[in-house]
Formats: sequence, structure tokens, C-alpha cells
Amino acid sequence: MKKTLYYLAFCLVAIAGTSCSKIDNDPAPSNTLKGSTTDAQTGNTVQTEIGGRGTRVKLIETSYSNDPTPYYFQSMQDGTFNNTKIFAATYKVSVEGPFVPLVQTDDQGNVTSDQSQNVVIKGTNTTTSVNFKVEPFLRVEWVGQPVFNADSTVTVQVKVTRGTANASYQQDVTNINLYVSNTQYDGDNNYDPRYSKLTSYNGTDGTALLGQTITLTTTSGALPQQDIYFRVGARINAGLDEYNYSTPVSIKYP
Amino acid sequence: MKRYIYILIAFLVVGTSACRKLNIPPQNIIQNPDVFGTPAGIQAYMARLYSELPIEDFRYSPQRGLNFFWIISPTPATTGEALSRDQTSSMQENFGGWSWDIWGGSYTVIHDCDYFIETLPSYSKSFTPAQVNAWLGEAYFIRGMTYFALVKRFGGVPIVNKTLQYTVGSSTEPLKVPRSSEKAVWDQVASDFDFAIANLPAVNADYGDGSRANKYVAAAFESRAMLYAGTVAKYNKITLFDGSQNQLCGIPASAAAAYFQKAYDAAKMLDGVYSLYLKAWSATDKSAQYQNFVNLFSDATSSESIFVREYQYPNSVHGYDAYNVPRQLIGPNGYSAEVNPTLDFVEMFGGIPKNADGTLQTLDASGHYILYNNTVDMFANAEPRLRATVILPGDVFKGQSIEIRRAIYTGSATGGISRILPAGSHSQYSSTNLVQSANAGQTAFTLPGGGTMNPAGASGIFTGDQTCAISGFSVRKWLDPNLPTSQVLENNEAQTWIEMRYAEVLLNRAEAAFELGTNTSDAFTVINQIRSRAGATPLASEGSMTIDTIRKERRKELAFENKTYWDLRRWRIFDKEQNGTIYRVLMPFYSSQAGKYFFDARTDERNDIYTYDSRWYYEQIPSGAISKSTNLIQNPGY
Repeated sequence: MKKTLYYLAFCLVAIAGTSCSKIDNDPAPSNTLKGSTTDAQTGNTVQTEIGGRGTRVKLIETSYSNDPTPYYFQSMQDGTFNNTKIFAATYKVSVEGPFVPLVQTDDQGNVTSDQSQNVVIKGTNTTTSVNFKVEPFLRVEWVGQPVFNADSTVTVQVKVTRGTANASYQQDVTNINLYVSNTQYDGDNNYDPRYSKLTSYNGTDGTALLGQTITLTTTSGALPQQDIYFRVGARINAGLDEYNYSTPVSIKYP
Repeated sequence: MKRYIYILIAFLVVGTSACRKLNIPPQNIIQNPDVFGTPAGIQAYMARLYSELPIEDFRYSPQRGLNFFWIISPTPATTGEALSRDQTSSMQENFGGWSWDIWGGSYTVIHDCDYFIETLPSYSKSFTPAQVNAWLGEAYFIRGMTYFALVKRFGGVPIVNKTLQYTVGSSTEPLKVPRSSEKAVWDQVASDFDFAIANLPAVNADYGDGSRANKYVAAAFESRAMLYAGTVAKYNKITLFDGSQNQLCGIPASAAAAYFQKAYDAAKMLDGVYSLYLKAWSATDKSAQYQNFVNLFSDATSSESIFVREYQYPNSVHGYDAYNVPRQLIGPNGYSAEVNPTLDFVEMFGGIPKNADGTLQTLDASGHYILYNNTVDMFANAEPRLRATVILPGDVFKGQSIEIRRAIYTGSATGGISRILPAGSHSQYSSTNLVQSANAGQTAFTLPGGGTMNPAGASGIFTGDQTCAISGFSVRKWLDPNLPTSQVLENNEAQTWIEMRYAEVLLNRAEAAFELGTNTSDAFTVINQIRSRAGATPLASEGSMTIDTIRKERRKELAFENKTYWDLRRWRIFDKEQNGTIYRVLMPFYSSQAGKYFFDARTDERNDIYTYDSRWYYEQIPSGAISKSTNLIQNPGY
């Protein structure tokens, strides 16, 4: 009886051992896709928001199927992106964000222009760079440096201009906001509501400010003595209503 | 040994012969004849279909979905109607959380309707043609409601109007039905409702109390759905096409007028069949108008209730009162005051002192606070509908004056009291000159003139916990004034939910008429019917009416009924209203020096920011649904 049990146990071990000998996992993806979204006119990267309301990169793996489920990853705040876990394949790559879309359709759903780039990624541990030249809806640029006022508020000046002459994207400016945050990841999804100065515009009121020097001051009195970053966002009512941003700037509490 | 073998053989022989007949249906599974052969079987089938009808009732919140008991992130706290301690920002619906499967669940209901529609006709001999038609009408009604629930969330979805058959081993490709265009789904909703209208009787023969559909119920929902489609066609800006030029998100603007017309015609069908509830109403008595509006939500014989969901203890229950009573009437579970109407909401109503810009007037001409003997004095002439919707500070509920006070102000009152904080400040109150309370265990303050007073009201506002009237108001609508406090418990209430009432049908009609632009005089008449029932001043002239007049009326009338959420979506103004928005609140203070009350209107002291993401007008299709059916195209931005 005992012998039978030993035999059985031995058989089980033998089966268990051999059945796991074949590992059919693919190696982890090791290729890098990096690049940037830059303003076609100025050559600067297009500032954006971190998280779901900012620029993202869209990969369509055309070597897998004609119509695969797209893969997305988010761009960094400064308009660059870097993904180190991409499988070797052929992709159609584009970016989506607060700029004239690279893939445009008419009101019947026909694709009228497509500036996606085909990218072939081969081998392992390779790095592929890709750059997209886009026309941002708006450009938000600093005029001078933030000024620390006597009452411990801060005043900044910016200039907002259109980044495109495309007739479909000349909607009115709906918002120009000064965001205040204690980190550089400052934007519509991360700001201190006490000090930030948010303004919505009706009709052409916001559009009239295009090209002007706009002066914005923080609200609710004295700023706290801590790290502080400022960023101005502006948007038009187009696409998914995402914001275009200035670069974040910091100021030392005197 | 041999003997055993013989016995074994004998057993086997007996055993095989016993299995001769193998094609009898399994006796432990309910068969079609059991369900479709008797009215009782049909009723059981209907009971489940109705229980799964996707309506946003007492058991719905965007956070936890349909049919979930725990409503502490209430819908009104996502729309700006109210603030809640547990819902502090805008949100899209949380599919997949809390086991809410909106996609799979809806298609299960659609499948069950399709199965019913396919199977019932073969059993029609057992019933009268009228019965068969009415039941088919109900199945189409429920299917139409379910497509409506899908299309208002996702835009175009797969249309599956027959049960899909799958044989094991065959390809699953035919099961992967792609999305239809958004317009096609709205048209499907319309055609299901049209079938229901044509086949249902005027009064449901099984249940005539409004808990099951009749012809007019289907018409009322058709008016709601077609108005939704019309406004999407007119105001939507997000588009998405598939590879074959089907417009999955968005409807061509040219289709708007036809939808508005259909909404108008459907609403007109109910003319003379239902009416506004006026049992306790009097043209001259404001308190009768108030009582009438309160009773409307609990009178089972109301001529205004068109379609209701009934609850019954202990099988199907909710806990609306337990979550929402004012803090001083807290029930044994320890919940209270989850829905606290914002000042922005209250300011939509008439009969309260206002500044030129429409905001509540709290300061006199010299910039000092206006003083009142009692907090409720400010609202002495408030529109009766406001009192019936919101518990105002100091108003009476369940025989108690609901005491709402932020703090006692001990500063000087000589020559008037100036603003505590500068206008527009988002800062918290400092403790200078203020005696406040962290929670309901209060230490009484000795007043200079003798006597004592608690720093905060019995219903708040407390600085340390938020189980109180954080906005300065508490919700009144739906609360049962006769429910003893010991019974204010979760999962204990059976108050009926009125999903569709005639006031909404009138508002649908007015909005559709106004959007069409062809019959604005009808819109004017209808809005004034609603306003006079509410005790509001009627509109002066047809010419002064704008689309905002009609929308505002709708938001006031249907507040806290989980309708505003969908209205803000279909008007596509959610992202305009909630754009870095901090909602406003009204903080009552007692001045110990003046011996009187004053009010400070300000932004929410918690600084909760509401920002509605425009992507949310089309919800994200659950990724699990796309993995199963790879033909599904995701909505833009996800």
C-alpha cells in the first residue's frame, strides 16, 4: 500500500515538473519611442496638461491588423513623450491634444487629411524618435517676470495669440486662467482655488484680448510662504476644449 | 467474486433500460410553457423586466450606479443643485465600480425583451389579443427605455433586436455587433415607443397605478427621449465616425427640428389625460401652495404621477430620509444632511431679496449686513415651491424649527456690521470675533444680554465634521414629514419614486415648442401653468421669454429628482457651468452685540472645485466590453 502511494507521488512530481518546462511568454517589450509635439511656427514644444486632458500619443499597430484597438500613452507636460516599453512592430503614430488635429474628417466622416507617421520598430532595446509639427489653437507667452506686490500677491503678464490660421479653429476664446500651485505640475486639474485667478469670457470678449498684454493678479490676499508656481492656460471652444498653457514659472518669496 | 460480477451486470442492465427516454426537458429548469402559458408566468417575467428598468431613482447615484442602496454621493451634489460632504467634485458615472455593469446589464435587459417579443406570439392562443398586444407593448417600452439609457450615455450603441444564437465551436464574429450611428439608436428608441403607444391600452390592465406602462407612459417618455435627441442634434460639438461613415457620436443638426416636433407631439398626447396636482392648492394662499407641492410627492392618487417605481418593505427598500434629514433629526444609523442645496440653486427662485445682478441681497446700501430677528425672516415671501423643495434656515420641519447657524459673531455691531471677509475672498473665516463649534457636542456661549446660545445651530454648521447643513440649507423634497425618527433608517423606506410626472411633460412640450420657434405662445401658457401652481409670479409676456427662462423653470421644478444631471448634459452646458466653479453658500450668523441674525453669502468654505470635462458628454465604453467585442470603437478622448 505504502509503495503504491510512493509511486503515485513520484508520478505526480514527474508530471508536474515536465508540464511546466515550456515557458511561452514573449520577452518584455524593450524598445523606446520618444519624441515631441512642437509648434510648427515657433519650434517650441507645445505645453500641455498632465493627465487625461493633455496631449497623448496614439499608436495603431498596423502590422497586427488593419483596424486594431488603438494604444494610447500620455505626453509629458512640456510636450515631450518617452515610452520605454514598446513592442517591435509597425505603427501608425499620431498625437492628439490642444492643436489642429493631425487626422481630420469632414462632416460625413471622410478623412480629409492625415499627418500620422508610420514608424517601424525592430529588434530589442532600440530607440526611435518621432516629432510632430502641429498648429496649437493658442499660444500663451509670458511678458516679463512675475512681480511680487506689496500685499504679498503676485501679478503676471501674458500675451495670448492664435497658433493657427485654419478657418475651422478660429472659435472665440472662452477662458484665460492664472493657475497657482505649489508644484510645477500646475494646470486646470491641479491648482489652489484660493489664489488662482479664473476668468470665463462670453461672446467675443475673450477674443478681443488676443495679442494684448493681459495682466493677472492672484486672489484672496497674501500668498503663503512656500514654493509657488504660476502658469497661464487659455482655451477656445474646439475639439475636447483642452487648454493651451504657458511654461510654468516659479518665484521666490522675498 | 463471481457473485459480485453477476450483481454488477444485473445492475448495469437495469440501469441502461432506465435511461431509455433521454429527450425529456430538464425538470429543474423553468420552461417556456411555464412562463408564457399563464398570466402569472408573464407577471413574473414582467416583474424582473421592470425591476431592471434603468431609471435614476432613490437607489441611483453616478458614483455607485443603478439599484444600489448606499446613496452618500448623491446626484444633486454633482450638478450644482447641492453640496455634499461625500461628493466634492464633478464626476462622470462610475461604471464598473460597485458592480455596476451598465453595458452588459442593459444588453441583458434588451435580450430579455427580445426573447419575450419572439416567444410570446407562439403562446397567444392562451390569451386574448388585447392581452398579447399590451404585453408586447410593455416589452417594446422597456426595450426603448433601455436603448434610451444607453444612447444618452454613449451615443451610438449596437442595435440588437433579435436574440443572438451561439453554437459552441462556431465563430464568435457574428456576435460582435458594431455600434450603430447615434441617430439610428435614437430612431430605434422612437420606434420602440411608437410601437408601445400603438399597442398599449390607456390604462394598464394588470396594474393601473402607474407602476406599469400604458400608452401615455410610453408617450411621456417619448417626449423626454426625443427632446434629448433634438438638443443633442442642436448643441453637440463632439463627433466620431466609424470607417463606414456612420456617425457614432453626434447627430446632423438638420435632424433637430424633426426630433423637437416628435417631442412636442408626444407631449401633446397627454393633454387632458393627466393634470398638474392641485388638490390642496389655493390661488391666494401661499401656505396652501406650499403644502400642495409637498403633498404632490406622497399622494398615491395624484393626477400628476404618470410612471412610478414602488417600493415595499422589506423586499425593495431605500433610505432617502436616513441620508438626507437635517442634522438635528438624525436617525439611528447616524447619517444625515447629504444633500445641501447651494445658494446658486436657491437664487433661481423668486420672492427673496436680490441685488441687481440676481444674487441674494445680504448687505444694505452702506455695505453692512442686513439684520433679522430670525433667520427665516429673510425668506418670508419666498416662492412656496422653494420652501417645499429646500429647508430654509429656521423653517419648520417635523414640528421643529430647523436651526442652521455658522457661528456667533461677537464683534461690535455699533454703526452696522461690515463684511467678515472681503468680497470674492475664497479664504476660510478666521476665528477672530467668531465663536464656532467643531461638532454637535457644543458648549453654550453666554450672551452679553444674559442667557446662553450654542455657537452653531442644531443642524450645523460645524467646522470639524460635515454631517450638517454645509451650504446653509437642507433638502426638503421627497422627505417624509410623518416618518418617526426611530424609523429614519437605511433600507427601511418605501416612499414611491415618481419617475415621470405631468409637470415634466409640460416642460418638455414648452422646450420643444420654443426650440421649434413655431408655437412659442403654447410654451408661454404652459410655463405659466407651472409657475402659478408653484406660487411664483407668472411671466409677464411671451416676448420676454428666452430658452433660459424655460430651462431655469425646468431646473427649479424638477430639482432633486435626478433630472438636472441629464438636462445639463443634453444642453451641453455642464462644462460651462462647472468650469473651475466653486459653488456659493449662505452662512447665517448671530450677532451677540446686536441680538440679531445676519447672512454672509460666499463661496463654499471647503473650496471644492467643480470642473466638468467635455469628454464626459460621451461616456467611456467599458474596456471589458471592447475586449469582448473588438468591433466596438471607443468614444473620443478615452
